[in-house]
Amino acid sequence: MKLSLKPQETYRDDYTFSNSDEAILRFPFPFPEDGYMYSVNMEPHVRGGATPVYDKVFDVDEHYIGDMADRAITLDQDPLRCQVLPHMETAEWDTLELLMESLANDYPEHFSLTKNGDKWHWINRPLEIDQTFTFGRKETLPYDPFEYITRQMQGDFSLQDQRDNNLYMDGGMVTSQADWSLNFDVGMSFHEWHGPVPLAHQAGVFDRALQYLLRLQYGKPVRRLNWTMTANPRLDTSPENYPLWGPEKAAITPENVGHRMCLRVELQTLHRLPRSNAILFSIRGYLIRLEELVKVKKWAVRMHRVIRDLHPQIAEYKGLPRYRQYVVDYFAPFDDGRTLNSGIAAEQDSI
Amino acid sequence: MNTSRPLYKPFALDPSGLAHLIVTSLDTPPEGIEDSFDNIEVWTVKHAGPGVPVLAAGGIRPFRSTTEQLAQLGHRLGRMTAGLRFYAIGSEAFIWDAYNIAIAAGMHPSEIFLHRAGPFVRRVYCSHCRTMVEDVPANIVTCPSCEASLFVRDHFSRRLAAFMGVKVDAEVPGEVPAAEVFTS
Ligand code: HEM
Repeated sequence: MKLSLKPQETYRDDYTFSNSDEAILRFPFPFPEDGYMYSVNMEPHVRGGATPVYDKVFDVDEHYIGDMADRAITLDQDPLRCQVLPHMETAEWDTLELLMESLANDYPEHFSLTKNGDKWHWINRPLEIDQTFTFGRKETLPYDPFEYITRQMQGDFSLQDQRDNNLYMDGGMVTSQADWSLNFDVGMSFHEWHGPVPLAHQAGVFDRALQYLLRLQYGKPVRRLNWTMTANPRLDTSPENYPLWGPEKAAITPENVGHRMCLRVELQTLHRLPRSNAILFSIRGYLIRLEELVKVKKWAVRMHRVIRDLHPQIAEYKGLPRYRQYVVDYFAPFDDGRTLNSGIAAEQDSI
Repeated sequence: MNTSRPLYKPFALDPSGLAHLIVTSLDTPPEGIEDSFDNIEVWTVKHAGPGVPVLAAGGIRPFRSTTEQLAQLGHRLGRMTAGLRFYAIGSEAFIWDAYNIAIAAGMHPSEIFLHRAGPFVRRVYCSHCRTMVEDVPANIVTCPSCEASLFVRDHFSRRLAAFMGVKVDAEVPGEVPAAEVFTS
């Protein structure tokens, strides 16, 4: 199906963001069962599967233009949201190549890449970019290669160097994070940056996840879904700007919870990079207002059960307690006690 | 369980070292080192009166502040002796500052030993205005620059030698819980 892009929406101030019916049906709902607990939920990132967002290597959707405009605003206010340590330059070019090739291959009507030796020609039609440059020569681009390409791709990214049997977060573009800070975490190892997460360390989740990632192979990306909730469709829920978005959480009421509250799902994909042997971590976020989510019956019923039964330490970590009961009450009328099939598929073709 | 915060072993000299440099933010050397090895140099923090230095004696060199001490450390490690082992003893902020200086001077992590000692105080990084707040004794502290009351998250950065501080009453201004004094 051809991808059509909406004109620019906003993710702050007046929050004009909304999902079309098609976008709702393709939403990556993160709960295959009626309950949720941390686990090593990784699988090969192959095309196709339970949700259409798995169809492309890097998914682009109708919100593309608004996403990139919001990233530009955040970077303008805080350039340190994008940082790459100097020894990661090869990984920067690896990232640029992977993203350009994937976009041009998956969305030829919007992006094109022509190579003539190391003279490359990149066209991004939605953002009206037409760039010729020399691969490997950063002075031929308006930004360093990693920043250049991630200003043109939805979702956050981090770059992991692999050494001493560990992964180190030695770079990233992080403007739409669920309350963590690249500037604080840059240079940390896998267990260090995961420090604040409850329960999962004790359960051995991070030990096993790291072992899995250290063996990640080029050309065989893997994926997992992660989720949280956000008051208003706001991309920049950073610790840096918590004084701006914190009050919006406190303004949630039983009356406005359906409209303002959003489920925020991250499709995380991990890619081994060919020249640097680094790992590119893509955190592609999707937002859906609760009043949009309930248009899919199965998801409304399941949301009620998952949020109602969520482990208190996970709820606390995700910042849910202040409005958790409102969310449960909002979904309760949809839950008629029926048995739901396993899996995340919407199980309906229209809204 | 917190995994960004390192675990520290009790202080002991590494017998494979040929020379030992011990820097401590305390005013006395660690106990029991005098007769155990040759080639031991100890840097402490002590002053004899306002601004007045204590002179070096018997392998012990006092500095008037950790700032003065750390400012000279890079220079000292620049003329490093082969087989040198480096030890830092003090608050978490101090020992990781010292660690970062040693790494920048070319030491290998296996030659560096860190030991937390002294009062349980933390350096806190204000996530909002990036100010470092020193010697914080409890898990809530006011940022001296942007005035936010910060909750100290159990998240430690070795690069910044600091814990992460995030506005505690961002959601409902004024809703600040009672602070808890650090016991580790
Ligand atoms: C290189 C890849 C990865 C990076 C860069 C990364 C990064 C992060 C970061 C920055 C956080 C937030 C921590 C905070 O609160 O400060 C986080 C949370 C988390 N990560 Fe990872 N992660 C990676 C891979 C994985 C993998 C493979 C798993 C698999 C089990 C995993 C599981 C989790 C979980 C369970 C959380 C808590 C999320 C929540 O409840 O919202 N991570 N990760």
